[in-house]
Amino acid sequence: MNEEEAKTQAVEDAKDGIKRRDFLQLMTGAFAALAAGGCRFQKPAEKIVPALVAPEEGLPGQAAWYATTCGACPAACGALAKVRDGRPIKLEGNPEHPVSRGGLCARGQGSLLDLYDSQRYAGPRVAGAPVDWDTADLEVIRALERARASGKAVRLLSPTWASPSARAELARLRARFPSLRHVVYDEPSLQASISAHRLTHGRAALPSYHLEKAKAIVSFDADFLGTWGSPVQFTKDWAARRKPDVEPGLMSWHAQFEARMSPTGANADLRVPVKPSERYGTIVELGRLVAQKTGWSGAVPPSGPTSVSRSVLLQTAAALVAERRRAVVLCGAADVASHAAANWLNHMLGAYESIADLERPAAFASGEEGGFDALLAELDRGEVAVLIVRGCNPAQDHPRAADFRKAAGKAGLVVSLAGRPDETAKLARIVCPEHHYLESWSDHDAHGGVISLSQPALSPLRGTRGALETFARWDGRRATDYESIRSYFRSSVLPRQKKTRSFETFWEDAVRLGALTLGGGAGKAAFIPSSLPALKAPPVSAFGYEFIAYQSVALGDGRQANNPWLQELPDPITKTTWGNFASFSPSDAKSLGLVEGRVVKLEAEGVSVELPAHVQPGQASGTVAAALGYGRSGIGVMAGNLPVVKMLPIDFQPASGADVMPLSRAAAVTVGLLSRVERLTKTQTYDHLVDPLLGERRDHARETVLADYLLNPRAGNPAEAKAHSLWKEHEYAGPKWGMAIDLNACTGCSACVLSCNLENNVPVVGKSEIAKSRDMHWLRLDRYYSGPPNALEGSPDVSFQPMLCQHCGNAPCETVCPVLATVHSTEGLNMQVYNRCVGTRYCANNCPYKVRRFNWFDYAHADLSANLALNPDVTVRSRGVMEKCSFCVQRIYTAKADAKVEGRVMRDGDVKPACAQSCPSEAIVFGDLNDPKSKAAKLAKSERSYRVLSELGVQPSVHYLTKVRNKRV
Amino acid sequence: MSTSHVSPLREPLVDGVKDLGQITRDVCGPLDAAPTAAWYAAFAAALCALSYGAVMVIHQVWTGIGTWGLNKTVGWSWDITNFVFWVGIGHAGTLISAILFLFRQKWRTSINRSAEAMTIFAVMCAGIFPLIHMGRPWLAYWVMPYPNPMGPLWVNFRSPLLWDVFAISTYFIISATFWFVGLIPDLATMRDRLPEGWRKKVFGLASLGWSGSHRTWQHYEMVYLLLAGLATPLVFSVHTIVSFDFATSVIPGWHATIFPPYFVCGAIFSGFAMVLTLMIIARKVMNFEGYITLRHIDAICKVILLTSMIVGLAYSTELITAYYSSNHYERFAFINRIKGPFAGFYWMMVFCNVLVPQALWFERIRRDVRVLFLISILINVGMWLERFVIITISLHRDYLPSSWTDYSPTYVEIGTYIGSFGLFFTCFLLFCRVLPMIAISEVKGVLSYARGDQDKESRHAH
Repeated sequence: MNEEEAKTQAVEDAKDGIKRRDFLQLMTGAFAALAAGGCRFQKPAEKIVPALVAPEEGLPGQAAWYATTCGACPAACGALAKVRDGRPIKLEGNPEHPVSRGGLCARGQGSLLDLYDSQRYAGPRVAGAPVDWDTADLEVIRALERARASGKAVRLLSPTWASPSARAELARLRARFPSLRHVVYDEPSLQASISAHRLTHGRAALPSYHLEKAKAIVSFDADFLGTWGSPVQFTKDWAARRKPDVEPGLMSWHAQFEARMSPTGANADLRVPVKPSERYGTIVELGRLVAQKTGWSGAVPPSGPTSVSRSVLLQTAAALVAERRRAVVLCGAADVASHAAANWLNHMLGAYESIADLERPAAFASGEEGGFDALLAELDRGEVAVLIVRGCNPAQDHPRAADFRKAAGKAGLVVSLAGRPDETAKLARIVCPEHHYLESWSDHDAHGGVISLSQPALSPLRGTRGALETFARWDGRRATDYESIRSYFRSSVLPRQKKTRSFETFWEDAVRLGALTLGGGAGKAAFIPSSLPALKAPPVSAFGYEFIAYQSVALGDGRQANNPWLQELPDPITKTTWGNFASFSPSDAKSLGLVEGRVVKLEAEGVSVELPAHVQPGQASGTVAAALGYGRSGIGVMAGNLPVVKMLPIDFQPASGADVMPLSRAAAVTVGLLSRVERLTKTQTYDHLVDPLLGERRDHARETVLADYLLNPRAGNPAEAKAHSLWKEHEYAGPKWGMAIDLNACTGCSACVLSCNLENNVPVVGKSEIAKSRDMHWLRLDRYYSGPPNALEGSPDVSFQPMLCQHCGNAPCETVCPVLATVHSTEGLNMQVYNRCVGTRYCANNCPYKVRRFNWFDYAHADLSANLALNPDVTVRSRGVMEKCSFCVQRIYTAKADAKVEGRVMRDGDVKPACAQSCPSEAIVFGDLNDPKSKAAKLAKSERSYRVLSELGVQPSVHYLTKVRNKRV
Repeated sequence: MSTSHVSPLREPLVDGVKDLGQITRDVCGPLDAAPTAAWYAAFAAALCALSYGAVMVIHQVWTGIGTWGLNKTVGWSWDITNFVFWVGIGHAGTLISAILFLFRQKWRTSINRSAEAMTIFAVMCAGIFPLIHMGRPWLAYWVMPYPNPMGPLWVNFRSPLLWDVFAISTYFIISATFWFVGLIPDLATMRDRLPEGWRKKVFGLASLGWSGSHRTWQHYEMVYLLLAGLATPLVFSVHTIVSFDFATSVIPGWHATIFPPYFVCGAIFSGFAMVLTLMIIARKVMNFEGYITLRHIDAICKVILLTSMIVGLAYSTELITAYYSSNHYERFAFINRIKGPFAGFYWMMVFCNVLVPQALWFERIRRDVRVLFLISILINVGMWLERFVIITISLHRDYLPSSWTDYSPTYVEIGTYIGSFGLFFTCFLLFCRVLPMIAISEVKGVLSYARGDQDKESRHAH
């Protein structure tokens, strides 16, 4: 099928709701399963150990939780997989994991759906035809043998593979095939930081950051709450210091100097738009001010251009110096000079003594300087006999992907380990698909001093094979991944700990907990001042707009680009779904005559990309930013839930966007306006708390500044007027469920949105439905800009507000339903009875919070195997009924049943709704408001607490805590 | 019907010198002849509209409400706008037949039959919308309180939507009964005129053995009077209850105590405008100029002028209340009508409903049917817009700015609306062909109205 046909087929399939091919495929699978005499979903053959005390293993209807390690991004957070009836149906953060400590980001949670992707390879392929493993292995081994005989190069290309047992396995393979070399690249990577540390500290390492110790954080383009480094860990640490009521003097101060508005910048106390070309100059200028204040007598890096006002820099320097040894500077640039200058700042501030840990460095997205380019040259010269690609997609995910596509033809043999078709696997003669991470054993040491261990949550769904086993086979051994990892742990990890001598005990603990902390580490690395004067400011582009290609919170680097949950996850800042766009500052948009949706052509070095424009308040003038990961071709059909058409055709829009990877190394692009307009599909179309006609500010998202808060904890939070009622209040003899959401801790990361989607079987509705404002999210993140709606300059204050059903005591929806389909429970829940709902939508109209969602169509999964990710505890709603947040009522009832079985009363914290569970910043607290000792009740009574629209007398059960900005004015 | 002495200074209610037989022939004559080409053309158009609407409704019911343009913020728009629009239209019929009857307004006699028919057809059109706007219309019977094995599970008596169910169904039943009872003497006339055959049998059955005796007349008039008394409160209650759908809610722009009287007046206003439209066509097409005289038209115009001014007063009261409330949301809801994205609709509404009817102060205009036809259409448009303004503009920007959206209808919504006009006119055109459009017996009763007794006697001599 050529591309055009594939596209038509995709559109046709989407219309049908069910893909013909998928249907056949699945039916074949189903019959095969029947013939085999049983269910395909089963525990793996090896012994796996649930995280919590297991009931009788494999009890139907009982969920077991298995600790694993999230494989969605290099940060390798600890995750728990909820397995029901043999299949994982939910991923949550693992509270026991030393790094992520219970949080899990949106992409991590969404990766569950990748497991059930029906387009995954069913087994190995040679030249596109399915073969058995022996045939594939034989061909690879022969090629490897030939390469050894002729001395030609064998290359393994992968992103940073932070797995100690994989390294051991590779070493063994290299012993057999000496011409094998492992080429590592990450795109985007944190490699500049490593290079800079080699320069300034003589150690090529990426420090581990302990932001919980930081009282002053200054970040230059490092989106550490969004996609930079280890966002869940950083969010957790950052948020720990955003709770002003815990103790005085706890609050940190956070400044962000950045070009585009990132989620991190949106949460900063001070945000300064700075063009990338001025980043180095700004860091050095700040460094000089800090040097003055700290009495730095060493060498100083040469200065560069900056337009940041001196007063802002003075203020920043003062704040940093005031918190010496508790201050850190983060840098997210791709140039070494900026990083080196930031290292200098960190050294002067004493950050290396506390916050930035070079002794136990991190290893994510570390890349390898020039490795990829050297490989391309080797390929071009025809020196590579065998190229093995694992965990990456160089035909797409590198700026020189086009060169790779050309050069790959010159390799003797290309072998891909991709689990599902991608651009590179299509070029490869042999595909040896590896497991999804939820099916495989693996270990990770991305975080200094911690080894995470993943156990499979189910036996492989398809005829895939673990990467380590594949390498072992090529090495002539028959070791499975499980055996390789166990033997590595026995030989290398067991001796490094002192808890137990018995390997089995040690192993079982490690598997159950999912991670272990190890001591040791390298010694201190001393700062080398003499490295500074040699720094060179990055060159400034003479033309066009400076270009920033960034990772979005929803898609990251784009490896999950065909995951419909993530495509439909609104970007935290722009609230856009299903496509990327080019962001411009308001003043640039004005001078270019751009309005939102106007398609622009970005061009540099002969590469051009067409994207709809977006006007972003707070973006640095003279820059244009676009997200990576969108617009990928060759990843197959986007298998969302789509409206099922039964009679006349209804709108269908495929996912949009363009791949900006080829442009991502360009410092600047020229911008041309095309005559086309492509509307961005947003879930929020009005951005401000100030209304556009009267100019009055609405106080839904309340805020104050720290200085005012310290004087008066009720600052910015006028007390609720006493409501008078003719009627008796509801009485709650037992618990009264409620929630407290700390707006100061919420970073807008949207993990809760995705968590809610998964837990509650919230349908994905597709781009055309989002364009009609019909997103189904039960929990949404409202993002507001403060300040006048038409401000052109400066950076607006941003607030995020998770908005969900407020479970009102006097719920306006309950009175208006003619058929009693929405009723009040004795525990304060506002319950929606799907069976009873006839769909008048009166309740949604009368909801002041507009959190009710209507099933406009039957939203069927286009990819039927995605149905396996559905939560059996939650009804899948049919069309024509209303739905909304239930406070995860299924979890409340599970917790109640558990308490009853254990013969105890329920404790605070027994019930954690999906949103609260996965929130990396612990901004959402759920509990019994009737229990004065519960955390939620305490927060609800705090001076920062208020209820949105309480003046309507609806008695909402969700309390918000005011945002306290640590502004130094 | 009863006759009484009326001053000869008053204008007569029926033009021309006619005897009783002439009236029967005038009204029943067209029913005997084959339909005209104009009727066929109109009927074909109405049927086309009806079938287009039917296809749209089937599509919508089969595929989902998603075929409409509604969204997470705007849950009602054209559907409920059309519902309120059609219910409003109906009100004039009941007002004319019941209230004007109780107030002894003799001029109603020549228009009450068709006005009542209009009421019934309008209520039928109105009833369709709450039914099909449901997500699962096949479960619509759940809104009825009936004994059931689910508990029994009752309906929510606190929901204004349930009150609507009762109000509209009561209204339809009473209106239909009232109309039928009023028809009985005329059905008997038809029966008596028809030659033997199935039509005579049908009319014979329908006229319930009417004998025309004094006793029959006495009973008949008592029943009619009682039914008029029953129907009268409905004129006020139905639209009051419809307005509760909005007034009892918490949405700014909906939540208003002024709504019941405002809606009732608006309903009468729009209903009379529709009566005017239909009467102007009917008197021309059916040659009823002698029965539906310019004096009738004039009287209708006066009612329209009065109700227009009440509606205008309501508009300004809403604005002043919002301003005086000092409530941000309330103020914004109204400033958003005036200056927001849908401002054009608001100003069109003000133009049609408040400014245009001011022309009716002038007698020359009140008696110029061409101008009046245009005015009546504009008022119909304006009153549809009024409901659109209230429903959609209030919803699309309510409390939390994060949920503000736009709304635009799809071809399915527009098609369904066109279909409702198709249904209305199909029914009305069939009515014109099958039943006497003018209440023969009542018109005979007012024949002598404002004519001297001498005149009356002279005509009886003919």
